[in-house]
Amino acid sequence: MKQTKRAVMKRSKKAALVLMVPVATLLLAGCGEEREQAMVFSDPSECSAAGLNDTAQCNADYAAAQALHPQVAPKYLNKEECETDFGPGQCETAPQQTAQGGSVFMPMMMGFLAGQMMGNNASNLQQPAAGSKVPTQPLYKSRDDRSTFRTATNTPVAKTIGPISLKPSQVQPQVGQVVRRGGFGAQAASRNSFGG
Amino acid sequence: MKRISVAERANWRAYAEEVGFNFHTFDGEPYWDETAYYQFSLQQIENDLEAPTEELHQMVMDMVGDITRSEEMLTLLNIPRDFWSYIWNSWNKGEPHLYGRMDLVYNGFGPAKLLELNYDTPTSLFETGFFQWVWLEDQIKNGVLPEHADQFNSLHDKIEQAFAQLPLPQPFYFASVRDNLEDLGTVNYLMDMAAQAGVDVRYIPLEDIGELNEQFVDLDNQPIKGLFKLYPWEFMVQEDFAKTIMAANTQMLEPAWKMLLSNKGILPLLWARYPNHPNLLPAFFETPSSEPLGAGWVRKPLFSREGANVDLITNSGEKISAAGPYSDGRYVRQALHPLPKFRDEYRNADTYAMLGSWVVGDSAAGICIREDATLITKDSSRFLPHIILD
Repeated sequence: MKQTKRAVMKRSKKAALVLMVPVATLLLAGCGEEREQAMVFSDPSECSAAGLNDTAQCNADYAAAQALHPQVAPKYLNKEECETDFGPGQCETAPQQTAQGGSVFMPMMMGFLAGQMMGNNASNLQQPAAGSKVPTQPLYKSRDDRSTFRTATNTPVAKTIGPISLKPSQVQPQVGQVVRRGGFGAQAASRNSFGG
Repeated sequence: MKRISVAERANWRAYAEEVGFNFHTFDGEPYWDETAYYQFSLQQIENDLEAPTEELHQMVMDMVGDITRSEEMLTLLNIPRDFWSYIWNSWNKGEPHLYGRMDLVYNGFGPAKLLELNYDTPTSLFETGFFQWVWLEDQIKNGVLPEHADQFNSLHDKIEQAFAQLPLPQPFYFASVRDNLEDLGTVNYLMDMAAQAGVDVRYIPLEDIGELNEQFVDLDNQPIKGLFKLYPWEFMVQEDFAKTIMAANTQMLEPAWKMLLSNKGILPLLWARYPNHPNLLPAFFETPSSEPLGAGWVRKPLFSREGANVDLITNSGEKISAAGPYSDGRYVRQALHPLPKFRDEYRNADTYAMLGSWVVGDSAAGICIREDATLITKDSSRFLPHIILD
């Protein structure tokens, strides 16, 4: 083998950039998250009538959304505030109570979102949306926009029932608490550089 | 070791901006400075810098385990008690580390002396690994430097290799303080090398990191399982998300045990463990009963960066201080070993040079040189390239 001069050098054999030059930035911008197929229905009968999933799967998805509903639905300390957002007669008492034993209110579930199983092997149908990245979950409708199905975090997903496509990261149910941000960087303002 | 004046490349500023090196000039003052370069012999590089760097690195690595088990040393280093177990675990699980830089005084002969370790958030990485590398290639191509001129700078190769080999969760996130151009430059360069090594890289401003059910999340609320953070551990452990660090299942670069080494308190601990080692300077913790700082001594905060809040008194009694925001902690004292003085012909002024020696994983990976008009190297100190030529 030919001994090259470079083999004994004390510097890198190459120092190339792929992201820091403008051309490559374009490449990066092209690769976002893939959209996934999902379905929106008001109840399980609508779902089985559509024929995209069978009745057992529709019932399983509806039950899963109902179970999640009290955990993820937005909560209010009085019914009026809830109805301001969701409309008169559209709120119910949540199973949770305040620390002082007071009632908590939440909007009623108006529909459900489920991953689409179309084309899947029939033997899988008992499992809730196996293989789908879209989490099965309850949907709500706000007072001023009764035609739009929204997630518990107020992300609009559909105007009508039936199949839709969406990015799974936009509909991740958040159980329990809200995201806190800004927990790092408090000392950033008082100091200039953080490297050294 | 010589300082040699040389003509600047014609279009280097335009090229710097093209590759994202937007902080080559700071507040109208040059940061990248190619009006001169430093020249070393291969023997100076290998015997006086490369080998001592790896030896010093091994010496501090050998101390980490002992420090994690010592209440006394953890207390001396001002490590919050809440984090002692977390750090112990981080070390005992063998959480990998990526890189660090030690700052040395070296004048071309005699042993290099360790000034301090930047083992948590070292910057000037892009300038070293990429920009000074390209400078040498260009100057050889231009016929300004001979074909066989070399550079002690395998930083790019070694970091790319490290990213290819480290067991990192994917995607792997990189965070820096929002709107800090210099830190963003460092992080962009690391992401670039990581991407070339096949890592699925994501950037998030530090302030945008979220917490959901005791897990760090990105802006889409997706879990952050691996995070490179260009933000000091000593700040992170004091801020609102400190408790989440312990609960979350996020692999951090640099790992938490690096907190013990990127702390000026490691200097007196090293001196106590290896007294009179040729590459160490005498160093002690300052106590309430310490005498006033004497001639030939330097005083540094436990946590400080870029020379901030450093005081020194020269052998002839002249006091030199650098202002800064790090006046809220404890101090160490180190014997003064003045930086070597050179003549800057371009500015017709004296200049002092400090040498940064990089470590990737556990191997020495190159050097960078910073110059200042004073004995204290600061964030405004100029960066000069170097070559090896015998």
